Amino acid sequence: MGDAIVGIVANPLSGRDIRRLVTQASVFPTAEKANMIQRMLTALAAVDVGRVLLGTDLGGISAAVLRAVRRRQAMGRAGGPDRWPEVEFLDGQPIRQTAQDTVEAVRRMVTAGARVIVCLGGDGTARVAAAAVGEVPLLALSTGTNNVFPAVREATTAGLAAGLVATGAVPAGQVTERAKLLEVRAGDRAETALVDVAVCTERHVASRAVWDPATLTQLFCAFAEPDAIGLSAVLGQLSPVTRRDPHGVTARLAAGGPHQVLAPIGPGLVVPVGVGEIERMRPGPAYQVDAPAGVLAVDGEREVTFEPGDQPTVRLRADGPWCVNVPAVMEASARLGLLRRPLAASPSPQHDPRKPTA
Amino acid sequence: MTETMERRALTRDQLLSAYRMMRAIREFEERVHAEFATGEIPGFVHLYAGEEASAVGVCIHLDERDTIASTHRGHGHCIAKGVDIGQMMAEIYGRRTGACHGKGGSMHIADLSKGMLGANGIVGGGPPLICGTALAAKIKGTGGVSVAFFGDGGSNQGTTLESMNLACVWNLPAIFIAENNGYAESTASAWSVASDNIADRAAGFGMPGVIVDGFDFFAVQEAASEAIARARGGGGPTLIEMKFTRYFGHFEGDQQTYRGDEVARARAELDCLKRFAGRVVQTRELGQADLDAVDAQIAAVIDKAVDDAKAAPLPTEADLLTDVYVRY
Repeated sequence: MGDAIVGIVANPLSGRDIRRLVTQASVFPTAEKANMIQRMLTALAAVDVGRVLLGTDLGGISAAVLRAVRRRQAMGRAGGPDRWPEVEFLDGQPIRQTAQDTVEAVRRMVTAGARVIVCLGGDGTARVAAAAVGEVPLLALSTGTNNVFPAVREATTAGLAAGLVATGAVPAGQVTERAKLLEVRAGDRAETALVDVAVCTERHVASRAVWDPATLTQLFCAFAEPDAIGLSAVLGQLSPVTRRDPHGVTARLAAGGPHQVLAPIGPGLVVPVGVGEIERMRPGPAYQVDAPAGVLAVDGEREVTFEPGDQPTVRLRADGPWCVNVPAVMEASARLGLLRRPLAASPSPQHDPRKPTA
Repeated sequence: MTETMERRALTRDQLLSAYRMMRAIREFEERVHAEFATGEIPGFVHLYAGEEASAVGVCIHLDERDTIASTHRGHGHCIAKGVDIGQMMAEIYGRRTGACHGKGGSMHIADLSKGMLGANGIVGGGPPLICGTALAAKIKGTGGVSVAFFGDGGSNQGTTLESMNLACVWNLPAIFIAENNGYAESTASAWSVASDNIADRAAGFGMPGVIVDGFDFFAVQEAASEAIARARGGGGPTLIEMKFTRYFGHFEGDQQTYRGDEVARARAELDCLKRFAGRVVQTRELGQADLDAVDAQIAAVIDKAVDDAKAAPLPTEADLLTDVYVRY
């Protein structure tokens, strides 16, 4: 196998919050996250990725993959299926069971020379990973709740795409796109969002999720797609903005506002939302948050509390993470014939001509 | 749209009450820890310090219609459900003035008048009990809900899994609170819970399962509020997994050779009381003076509970045959 490195980080806590209770949001058990990584390892091996760096966790994902890697090695010695790439577990650091674990893992992957970093999680996980990847392309796969930013996509295909970019078989410059970013500042704290920032009248971060539109007063979106799920869907139906548009969109939210729209603001939650003035959001300037105190929700999660004097602002930036466009990678692969193989060169393990048949 | 959409922030009185209960549990446990070391307390005690936000964040949304079942680590659940602190301390000291006349001790404190079905020496003993009370509430139409607290060890017991199944089959107003403090006695839950997250098991029964930071009162109360409203409204059971650390050993005297420095970190960075106080003072929902007044009041309550317990009489031979049978 080649020497290309791919990093994979999976959030053990994604897809577990209160929205499973209030809106029947989807469930992603640990076992499925570990299975997705294994399917990805198979795909990465198929396109010659030699080494995979895997973040570690106390939620059971990396432990399940470690057991699978050992089983696979034992089976390989017995003439079983092809080997996976060498998997290096990024352990040795304290696991804090917070978003900081994702940040640390991604930083170590960048330092170790990962050519693509795959993150498994929801919008919250992608947001945290995006802030740490630097110039390394990010491929965000959904195992969370809202999932506007990460794609709901089969891990096998995503693994092939990640591998083809990591090995250079498909030049990254042709199949990656730079995402926009919302920069939030409140007092001395800074945070980023990839999709939306909502101003919430709640006083506490508490269970993080946002599901009551009556608590929202203002919304900033880097993009707002008509088919989105989550808060950006509100403006997606009123004033759509694509991921490629240079601008974003912002609006006041108020029950009696001049625009009324029925929006899927969360899984299992289609509610009427009142919208006031809608304004195009230009990249660069800092937009003021018009509330004395409350919580800022980034990508659908309450994250930053603010008090009088903190004067929060939101700024649209063009320099978000480079994102792998999976369909574009696979189209390039088809065009270049990268996955074509001569008949004799790809014996299936079950019919290996080198082995005597029973 | 459901009734859960209309959430309201906790009132000042609710916040004060929550802080008072969490502080009472902490003081109670710290004091029992100190007193147990003197050798005066008979039997075993298992302390709840560190886990206060779970009991209080859940019970603050319960009322006299509702019942809870507890565990061997039950002092916090008792206090949060309103059992008298003086009677609890007397029970732990084995005195006639105790909640169970001194015959039960720490692991059997119960007060049915408060809807507290009992601490329980049997791991996984609580969940079947709340299926019974939840069924009764459903048949009688009282609107009552029943809550079982159990640990990561209890989550692996057949009784717990059977109860979850039954509660789902009968669509009972039952709530399962898995208090995952990382260790069943000295066995790590990371090793012994096959699904890693206890909440993941909920999907197998067709009920919602959520994970909550058990150190965060606000996160706990929000999830509990939704689960309780759902159960009262006929929506059926919920499983909530609290993740946190207990501050003391499994039992008093436990050498704790099986764990590292997580307690020091939890006390310093994650502690539910510190976080609660920091938040409400910052938002000005409560003042530091309010909290200080509660601290002083609780310290006096606990002092009196210990003094009274030590001075109270022990059961006598004449008490041996009382309270043995119950007449229905």
